[in-house]
This record gives sequence, C-alpha cells and structure tokens, in this order.
Amino acid sequence: MNVSDLISAVLLTSGCFFAITGGVGILRMPDFYTRLHAAGKVDSLAQALILSALMLQSGLTLVTAKLFLIVMFLLATTPTATHAVAKTAHLSGLKPWRARKSRT
Amino acid sequence: MTTLLIDVFLLLLLVITAIGAVAVRSLLAATLLLAIYSLLMALVWVSLQAVDVAFTEAAVGGGISTVLLIATLVFIGRREAPAPLIHWPSAAAVVITGAVLIYGTLDMPRFGDPQAPPHQHVAPHYIAHAMEETRVPNFVTAVLASYRGYDTLFETAVIYTAGLGLILLLRGARARRRERRR
Amino acid sequence: MMFTAAGAAVLIAILLFLMRALLGPTAFDRILAVNAIGTKTVVFVALLGFMAGRPDFLDIALLYALINFIATLAVLKFVEYRHLD
Repeated sequence: MNVSDLISAVLLTSGCFFAITGGVGILRMPDFYTRLHAAGKVDSLAQALILSALMLQSGLTLVTAKLFLIVMFLLATTPTATHAVAKTAHLSGLKPWRARKSRT
Repeated sequence: MTTLLIDVFLLLLLVITAIGAVAVRSLLAATLLLAIYSLLMALVWVSLQAVDVAFTEAAVGGGISTVLLIATLVFIGRREAPAPLIHWPSAAAVVITGAVLIYGTLDMPRFGDPQAPPHQHVAPHYIAHAMEETRVPNFVTAVLASYRGYDTLFETAVIYTAGLGLILLLRGARARRRERRR
Repeated sequence: MMFTAAGAAVLIAILLFLMRALLGPTAFDRILAVNAIGTKTVVFVALLGFMAGRPDFLDIALLYALINFIATLAVLKFVEYRHLD
C-alpha cells in the first residue's frame, strides 16, 4: 500500500462519515431551515471528499479530468440549489422553528 | 457477493419508494417520490452495466417527466380525491397480470446467456463488422445511429411533432384563461 | 473492496434521505431530499464505475449532475410561481 492509496482511503472514509452524518442530520433536525445545513454543506463536503479519493486512485488521466469537472460542478450547483429551495420556502411564508425556551 | 448485497439494497430502496409514492396523498409529494424512483432505477441500470438505458432513464424519468408531471399539477390541483386504499377489481387484475408475466419469464433465457436467441441473430454481425462499416467505436451507438438510422430519425420527428403540438395546445389554454380573467 | 464499502455508506445515506422524502412534512423538505439523493446518485454512479473497473460510467455521472440541478430549479419555479404548496 503506497502513499496515494493511504491518502485516498482516508479521504474515502471521511467522505463516507460525512455522507452518513448528512443523512442523519436531514432526518433528525427539527425543521426545514435546520435541515438545509445537513443537506447543503455536509453533502457538498462528502461528495468532494469521495470524488477526490477516486481522483487519487485513477492517476493523471481523462478520468481524473472528468471527476474534477463533476466535483467543480457539484460544488457550484449544490449550494445554489439549496439556496433556491431556502429562498422559495421563505417567500412562500414558511416560518423558522424556535426552541420553546427562547420564546419569552 | 458484496455487489449482490448492494443490488438487493438498491431494490429494497426502490420498493420503499414505490410504496411511498402510492400511499402518499399529496400529488406533489408523489411526483417527487417518482423522481427519486427513477434516480434509483437508473442506479439499477448502471449496476447492470446498461449505460445507455441509464442515460435515458436519467434524462426522461428524472428530468423531463418530473417537470411535465408538475406542470400537470398546476392545471389539476395538488390533492388526490379520497379513495379506498384497495380497489378490489383492479387489485385482482394487477395480481393476475403479474402472475402471468412471472409465468412468462420462466421461459426466458438466463441473464447473460450467450446462447440466447437475441445474441444469435444479428448481434454477432454488429460486433464483428460495426467498426469497419460505420466507423463508430460504440456498438449501441452504431446500431442506433447508423444501422437503424431511419428509425431513429423518424422517432425524433414524431417526438418533435408531439412537443410542438403540446406547446400549441398549452399556449391556447393559457391565452383563453387570460381572456376569461379580463 | 474499498469502493464497495463507500458505496454501501452512500446507499445508507440515500436511505436516510428517502425517509425524509417520505416523512415530509412540507414540500420543500421533499425537494431538498430529492436534490440530495441526486447528488448522492452522482457519487454512487462514479463509485459503481470504479467497482466494475469501467470508469467510462463517469459520463453518466456528469449528465446526472446537470439534470439534477435543472430539475430541482424547474420544480422550484413551479412551486414558487403557481403556489402549488
């Protein structure tokens, strides 16, 4: 096992960790606006980590170029899509969730 | 073994999504679940290495039909009329049709069997001569775009005409609605 | 083997997103879940390509990334302007 294999294993493991964390987050968070955090940020990080691990595995080829394109594209579109969902929800009058204690 | 497990898990997700899409009452939610269904179905196609089918499933099932279904919801409202959970005559029809279809699959050749009839007819010719006859490196593309070129051409014409007709119809409906509002 | 384990993790994440899409409660939760499942699908297609030793699957992954984004925006446009929810 050489260095690039080791790095890609680390990247893959942390990517899987973030993927599952994002899933748990979107399931357990109390309302829509808090779930956006899990779906928007954690997901972008998870896909970037996993695809970077694949890039390290494939070396300097066309495959790496395609993977790089996918990563860049997803890094641009996932936050944009999340922002669009949030904006639409806000415009349609969805109120953010508040903890019971802070409502004094 | 592990790939088998992954396939089984994928199919399980498909079944959950399908049941959810049928059971949920909001039509918008059902449409979104159908979008998830076709994303998962495309994953099954990729897992079977049917790349071209996966392409079509992603473009048509995940993209266009979701948008078309939502556009339909704009016209018909987003709540399903209340109905009993099981409509017995249709349930019977579905079960009988399913049983006949499963009975039919018993006669089909095994998955990936090289002796199966579809692999004996013209496929060997395509595999042997596609490169020199069409200069297209991918067999499936060669068959679709060259050997069945006219078929594909007229299919495209049919879809184009259908789309054009749909646009004209919907534009007419929109103009009439605006007229009524005035 | 490494890729298969990663694929299993991604599938578990898809299952969790699917639960959210089934539970709702608002339409926006479901749209968010569909979008997230789309992203995970792109990653899973790439992983499947590496599992099968055919990295040319990446073309599909690229296509999915495009379609997923456009479909999400199209759905949102309808929900926003036609008051579907």
